[in-house]
Amino acid sequence: MPSRESHEIRAPIRVRPSKMMIVVSDELEARFKAIAHQVFRTPFTKRTWSELCYLVLGSALAGVCLAFVIITMAAGAVLAITFFGLAIVGLSLRGARGIGGFQRRLARGLIEEQIDEPDPFLPRPGFLGWLQSVLKDRPAWRAAAYLAVKVPLAVVGVLTAISIWFDAFTCLITPLGGGYQPKEFGLARGLFPPGYLSIGSPGWIHGLAIFLTGVLLFFAAPWAVRLIVLADRQLMRGLLGPDVVAVRTRSLEHARAQTVDASAAVLRRIERDLHDGTQAQLVTLAMRLGLAKEKLADPAHLDLAQVSQLVNDAHRGAKEAIVELRDLARGIHPPALDVGLEGALATLAARSTMPTELSFSVEERPTPAIETIAYFCLAELLANVAQHAHASWATISCTQHGRWLRLVVRDDGIGGAQLSKLGSSSSGLVGLTDRVSAVDGHLEIVSPPHGPTVVTVDLPLHA
Amino acid sequence: MTSPIRVVIAEDSAILRDGLSQLLVDRGFAVTNAVSEPEALKDSVEHDCPDVAIIDIRMPPTFTDEGLRAAIALRRTHPDLGILLFSQYIETRYAAELLAEGAAGIGYLLKDRVADVSEFVDALTRVASGGTALDPEVVTQLLGASRRLGTISVLSAREKDVLSLMAEGRSNVAIANELVISEGTVEKHVASIFTKFDLPASQSDHRRVLAVLRFLDS
Repeated sequence: MPSRESHEIRAPIRVRPSKMMIVVSDELEARFKAIAHQVFRTPFTKRTWSELCYLVLGSALAGVCLAFVIITMAAGAVLAITFFGLAIVGLSLRGARGIGGFQRRLARGLIEEQIDEPDPFLPRPGFLGWLQSVLKDRPAWRAAAYLAVKVPLAVVGVLTAISIWFDAFTCLITPLGGGYQPKEFGLARGLFPPGYLSIGSPGWIHGLAIFLTGVLLFFAAPWAVRLIVLADRQLMRGLLGPDVVAVRTRSLEHARAQTVDASAAVLRRIERDLHDGTQAQLVTLAMRLGLAKEKLADPAHLDLAQVSQLVNDAHRGAKEAIVELRDLARGIHPPALDVGLEGALATLAARSTMPTELSFSVEERPTPAIETIAYFCLAELLANVAQHAHASWATISCTQHGRWLRLVVRDDGIGGAQLSKLGSSSSGLVGLTDRVSAVDGHLEIVSPPHGPTVVTVDLPLHA
Repeated sequence: MTSPIRVVIAEDSAILRDGLSQLLVDRGFAVTNAVSEPEALKDSVEHDCPDVAIIDIRMPPTFTDEGLRAAIALRRTHPDLGILLFSQYIETRYAAELLAEGAAGIGYLLKDRVADVSEFVDALTRVASGGTALDPEVVTQLLGASRRLGTISVLSAREKDVLSLMAEGRSNVAIANELVISEGTVEKHVASIFTKFDLPASQSDHRRVLAVLRFLDS
């Protein structure tokens, strides 16, 4: 029995290291094979040759384009004292933008580099508007900058690429043709002066060395080209795509549009509430009082019971109109917020139909806009819990994290809430998401089937 | 005794719909139906053949100008039906659209006007019997926006009062009562206005309204 135990214990100790070594060497071998395979294959892939093609063709075209931009810019600058000069600079920039587009298409077609289009050029009306827009057209200036940086890079790149490929082929061919010395162009001639390896009479060793150098260069050349093209790719991503400022501007414009739409929708809702509710109430009230007044003006046929009924109805209508107006006013700006966010949220929690617990720890008072958004978020979320979640309790936590306000609403309901299905009305939670994102906040819902549901709203303290 | 004027009400606010029904019944009208949306109005007109329809401009489904669309459609199918458009605010374009096919049996009033019950009842009766009732607000807006301000300014103050009341669709008798002057004086003012505007004199009240409105609007 003891012997078997010791055997069982010892065996894995002995086996494991050897197994691991095998595994490691297997991995290494596989990786080495993969690298070797890639190195040997690379000169024969489509990518290698289209990159070379792109390098040569793109560089030549970039040179021509840069020349166009420089000449037109210079002409514009010389004539800039007249109005005409600025127009030429403008045309030059339009050209630069076009060239940028052409470069993007070339890159997409030849080296499969997908660069997003920058914002379209939208000139303001009129010639002066066009001129101002075009002179401030960032994508055009960036395209011109791209050309200015690319051309020097291209000169170095093309020379390097051509020299390496040329050397590779010369070194491969020269010994085969019986020569011992690479001819003409390139690094190879410097590397292999006559008699470098066999003094006096270049022999077969020299030839073999040249041939092996050729082989080496043949497999190295694609990687040199790839490196140069990579630099160009980075340059294009940086200067020909939509720039960071433009992307940010666009997201802000989007947020602004949503905010404007949302506030227009709120105004429309208020107008409708006033029109359908309070105004109709008041018209009816005035009508009843008018009828009563006319009846009182005719004492001969006075039916007091009838007039009394009219006044009663009018009185009731007036009270209803007051309640409606108060609700409407509270929907526009909750008076509870004047006391502070904690008090306002506590009011909401207290008004909720299920037991709701609030924990509040915010040292710094947020700006009024943020408080209002937080308030309406909570109101909407609680209304949603009450309507759809079938929850027996809810907890609210409102905490400060540095420059952020975090509002978390949890409930023990049935879960499965989705953004599209949430919200008690069309201006409900989807609208709130818009409002939250308009101040760069975030709204996140975690609601697995069978619950619980946790909604987290992050808002900046100061909008 | 003449049979009561038969009215159908199309108004989406329940409070106002009920209040209006009560008022009309109290004033001796027969309310054939009170509905809340245009389709029901159409069916009700087909079924009950009322004399006049009170139509709220804003009704479901979009709460924009469904009432006006329904009114124009009813105008084509039931030319004899009087139509009183009823709205919280006055939009001159609506008045122009409605009056494009004649002013006989057409009314357009602010909802506030029901507060003056007798005047409202008066306007409704006028529309039901083929006359015209335009809200003073419509007339004020038309006068204000008219490109004939030069011509209007040649009218005397009294003539301007008469012009406004005439444009609302009032008869000479009503104008005389309103301004506390004799009917003969009204006739004199009307004739003077038509001369100054270079319009052919017209006997029928609603033709007269249309002539004046077209003049102001052109």
